[in-house]
Amino acid sequence: MTPILVAQIVLLLFVFFMLLNSAAIMVYVERKVAALLQQRMGPTLVGPRGLLQPLADVIKLMFKEELRPKAADAFLFTLAPIISVTAAFAAFAVVPFGAETTFFGLLPHPISLQVADVNVAVLVIFAVASMGVYGIVLAGWSSNSKYSLLGGLRSSAQMISYELSYGLALGAVLLLGNSMSLTDLVNAQAGAWFGILPRWYIFLQPVGFAIFFIAGIAETNRAPFDFPEAEQELVAGYHTEYSSMRFSMFFMAEYINMVTVSAVATDLFLGGWHGPWLPLSLGWIWFLAKVGFLLFFYVWMRWTLPRYRYDQLMDFGWKVLLPIAVINLLATAAGVLYFAA
Amino acid sequence: MLPDQILFYVLGALAVGASLLVIGQKNPIHSVLWLIASFAGLSGLYILLDAPFVAVIQIIIYAGAIMVLFLFVVMLLNAGHEDTGEDEARPVSVHRSAIRFGALLSGVLVVELVWALVSAGTLGGVFGSTATLPPAVSSVRTIGRALFTDYAFAFEVTSILILVAMVGAVVLARREATHPAQATDTGARLPGPAEPALRVEVGDEQAERVF
Amino acid sequence: MLNQYLILSAVLFSIGTLGVFVRRNLITILLSIEIMLNAVNLTFVAAGRAYGAVDGQIIVFFVMTVAAAEAAVGLAIVIALFRHRASLDPDAFTSLKW
Repeated sequence: MTPILVAQIVLLLFVFFMLLNSAAIMVYVERKVAALLQQRMGPTLVGPRGLLQPLADVIKLMFKEELRPKAADAFLFTLAPIISVTAAFAAFAVVPFGAETTFFGLLPHPISLQVADVNVAVLVIFAVASMGVYGIVLAGWSSNSKYSLLGGLRSSAQMISYELSYGLALGAVLLLGNSMSLTDLVNAQAGAWFGILPRWYIFLQPVGFAIFFIAGIAETNRAPFDFPEAEQELVAGYHTEYSSMRFSMFFMAEYINMVTVSAVATDLFLGGWHGPWLPLSLGWIWFLAKVGFLLFFYVWMRWTLPRYRYDQLMDFGWKVLLPIAVINLLATAAGVLYFAA
Repeated sequence: MLPDQILFYVLGALAVGASLLVIGQKNPIHSVLWLIASFAGLSGLYILLDAPFVAVIQIIIYAGAIMVLFLFVVMLLNAGHEDTGEDEARPVSVHRSAIRFGALLSGVLVVELVWALVSAGTLGGVFGSTATLPPAVSSVRTIGRALFTDYAFAFEVTSILILVAMVGAVVLARREATHPAQATDTGARLPGPAEPALRVEVGDEQAERVF
Repeated sequence: MLNQYLILSAVLFSIGTLGVFVRRNLITILLSIEIMLNAVNLTFVAAGRAYGAVDGQIIVFFVMTVAAAEAAVGLAIVIALFRHRASLDPDAFTSLKW
């Protein structure tokens, strides 16, 4: 085995492990931030400052009884959470999270910090995201319960509608960066304008970033767009009938999807691992900080904003977000043509 | 064997097997899912053919959009049970023999096509030759350039096709209005080509729930 | 060497025709048509690869567009028919007027 191959395998395992962890950490962060916003304490009992709470949650989930409704489609009922969590993990495979490194000279030539360097990475993320819909639709259908079915239908309608705006916002960045590789796009954001303002695409594409992030929230079914699991009307939406580890797979998929959307937004709009003060080899600190900020924003939104009504959500997606995204894309194309000429 | 060859057989078997299961399932939902598996196999074959762009749009458009549309319709029609064959209008035997004849025809078709292709391969030409292939054209840039120059007219015509399909789907799937409020409610919420039927149904669902 | 792709696509196309002939469910028939379209797509990509040309992949793009339009209109028709007859059997729609 060559050192490069070993490094790739270690990197893969590392990313897998960190994604698993990120779900656990996000559970803790979610509860603590919610408590902060509601002037409560949040979890405090398990471990110092409640830090071991996620562990306790995991143990609880593992020991719960695995239930399956009698009328459920057994095969699809089992398959659905697996699809969800696989799609969530797979999407992160093409996301780079740091500059090229030789790991302190251990490797003969530098490799980039990502699991797979694909030259159509942006499209791959899009494709995997569209596969994630199936986990939810099938969960909703195979449970054979009206709440599940309604939740599944709503979420897939929502994800398909917002995928368009998501894709068009991505398109504007691709025009600016003139590439489909995420690594190239991040590297195009190195340096600064006038010596102070970082060359991040968010400053060229503020509208694009807003569209991307709003659509990202809708894609991951988070509040204020969490209709698939709107507790007040649908019990728990598509995962009403799920319990134990099958339920926790959906749970994990949701948090990992949040991390992926934040990481992609960081790579595309916030300059990835580029930032002032830190050398390129420590760029991953910048990356983590930016992703962490976006994740905090996610949680903040959830505990601050009320849920939309379903028809409002559809109206907003098709009549507001999509036209703005199209205009943004056309304006970007015109700008690129004008300044390139 | 070369790794490419092994991959070809694995993916080809996946595509063929899944396609056979598509037409062999009683439940349309399972058919749709097997078709997605078949698309995954085809997508892998496109990568083997140095066409990563086609492979990815196969997943995005076919598996991600068109199949979701099918899934919706099957779920909304709730037609998980059918195809039993009892139909009082017409004797079952006629129907059975018609099906047998159809199966025979497609069997003949596959024999004919494979024979033609194998003999074409032995005759030589670009497909049968084992000589080195020309360099692959796989960059999205090249595809995009050709699409917006040589094929610009076809591309624009496609957009009209999509528009017509969208209007047609909206008109066809529209339910006759029972009272004015509902008519505006469902009519106004038919957004795109992707899921006309769904919007009507979900809209109605919502209308019942909200009002 | 690329001949095997053509044979595979011939087999897939025949499976599609088999589905159209044998099945009596409009949804499955539409799915079989998708199988046929995909078999043709595979031929186009293989041919494009054999000639080192980009045109094969572009045609696939157009075929996908047509498939999307076909699915949208086809399924809308299926829904309209299902509302009238509560059946997906194509033989249930043989009368010209109801």
